[in-house]
Amino acid sequence: MKSKLIIGLFLAVSFIQIITPLSMIIKRESVLKNGGQFKFKTAPVDPYDAFRGRYVALRIEDNYVPAIKGTKLSGGQAVYALIDIDSHGFAKFTAAATVRPREKPYIQTKTWYISGDKMYLDLPIDRYYMEEKAALMAERIYQQYAQRGKQDAYVVVRIKDGFAVIESLYVGGQKIEEALKQERKR
Amino acid sequence: MNKMGIKWLYQELPELITRGILTQETADKIRQYYGEVKSISKMTVMLIILGTIGALLIGLGIILLFAHNWEQLSRLTRAVLSLAPLAIGQGLALWVLWKRPQSSAFKEGSATFLSLMVGAAIALISQTYNIPGDAGTFILTWMLLIMPLAYLMQASLPAAIYLIGITVWSGTYWDNPNKAILFWPLAAITIPHFIWALRQEIYTLRTTILSLIMVICVSFAASFSLGKTWHGSWIIIFPSLYSVFYFLGRLEVNKITTNWQRPLRLIGAIGLFILAFQFTFRYIWQHLDDYSYGMNRNISGINALPDYIITLAIIAAAVLLFYDQVKRKNITISLLGAVPLLAIIAYLVRGQSAILPLMIFNVYLFVLSLSRIIAGFRSNNFAVINTGMLMLAILIIARFFDSDVSFIIKGLVFIIVGVGFLVTNAILARRMRGAK
Repeated sequence: MKSKLIIGLFLAVSFIQIITPLSMIIKRESVLKNGGQFKFKTAPVDPYDAFRGRYVALRIEDNYVPAIKGTKLSGGQAVYALIDIDSHGFAKFTAAATVRPREKPYIQTKTWYISGDKMYLDLPIDRYYMEEKAALMAERIYQQYAQRGKQDAYVVVRIKDGFAVIESLYVGGQKIEEALKQERKR
Repeated sequence: MNKMGIKWLYQELPELITRGILTQETADKIRQYYGEVKSISKMTVMLIILGTIGALLIGLGIILLFAHNWEQLSRLTRAVLSLAPLAIGQGLALWVLWKRPQSSAFKEGSATFLSLMVGAAIALISQTYNIPGDAGTFILTWMLLIMPLAYLMQASLPAAIYLIGITVWSGTYWDNPNKAILFWPLAAITIPHFIWALRQEIYTLRTTILSLIMVICVSFAASFSLGKTWHGSWIIIFPSLYSVFYFLGRLEVNKITTNWQRPLRLIGAIGLFILAFQFTFRYIWQHLDDYSYGMNRNISGINALPDYIITLAIIAAAVLLFYDQVKRKNITISLLGAVPLLAIIAYLVRGQSAILPLMIFNVYLFVLSLSRIIAGFRSNNFAVINTGMLMLAILIIARFFDSDVSFIIKGLVFIIVGVGFLVTNAILARRMRGAK
């Protein structure tokens, strides 16, 4: 009797253990399928800061919005960053709101710090995982293309209801995986 | 008596009978009195260790196999495959619960394996979808998912992993005491398991490892989460915490144990001595109000309440346990637990006089080491005398390095302390030989 109860409880726990990661998958797959597609220009990351080896560390180039006037926000607070598309087809943050916006596309994110009239955002787009052997070389390629003057690196993100999922990383007009293949052939 | 002790006694019995020291009758009575020793055979211990290691290796192997062709697989395939090790772990644990519910080796091993696979599954999915780095959320999710295993499978390693996990979690919030403080209710979830494990078998490898990890985790978590509301509060919090450890470890449940079987007592005592020793230095008291680790000025009013409640609970526990020992007139035991009270007094009087806190702790350590030396002499215990003398020596040497006396005198002090050690041990050795 007691063992049946324990097995029943164990099955319940197992169910939750499976459901938790499964719901992570479902949520992201649904965003990747149904979310709007946005291209964000990326900037180089301080190579000494980046945790090397397993992923390419990313930084969105214009990761700030004008500070919201009249409200006192400190670092780490939840905000909604509104997105506009510029003439080159790249997404840009235009403003931030503390309540969920109605019409425009937006990302739900956190404030990082405020400097003067700029509010920097701690965006949920900060890494692109690669296979361990590839990550180091990929990061070097990324740093090359993201350099000032060249700035030919961007990340494609799907966004649905403010939730962002990275789709792929592009350098020099091609996917980083392709760029890596060519680099290896050379 | 400790199981080891009874086992040893049983081994000695035939020899004692043949030598005529005990009769067969008394030997039987002894056996009757202590009863059968239910011993976990070495075989079982080996099984537990090998089972756990085996499970770990299989888990790692599965991940490596997947990693091999990882890049070629589609995103969704990768994500679903990430769940496979988790499902295997669950199947294994379920089989153990079904077929081998009596075997603690199987339960401990499969529960540990499953605990690790839960973390592996979440980590693999995070990689597949480039989920931004948020160690705190990841660890907390993982820990909450494995906590029930400690109870359902009566396994202590998942409980240990959980304790380590929530400590790391509170560490990621060291600058946000409102979150870090949640360590305490989270840790409280393990208390029933802890009590259950102690009731099963006390002073065994399982309880020793669990208490050791508990002591270490609680010490770290205290520094992450407590004392962010007032400067210098650590000077009272940490002695209280170690005092609670020490008194709990002191509880006389079973007499024959080694120090290592009682990590609470050992680490509690060492911690209290080190803290009291630190408090004999001027700089500790001088810089008390200047800087505090992770001090957060935003914490006040209602936000500071949890901090105050847990801090007060720890201090109250230390004072009550101290009072209990004093009431029982256990002078040597209670003396070490006096550090928190003295720290409170020193903290309060430090404004009036800079010297007073130093005097309190110098006198205290002097009395403490003397009491140990005297207690050691009374019980003819070399180890106790020598720890007492070592404490005294550390105190004397530190004071001489503080003061501006010449090198010659400092050197002489070293020699005198060294001679003191040798002479005391020589006298003691002679006394013990005389006693024989």
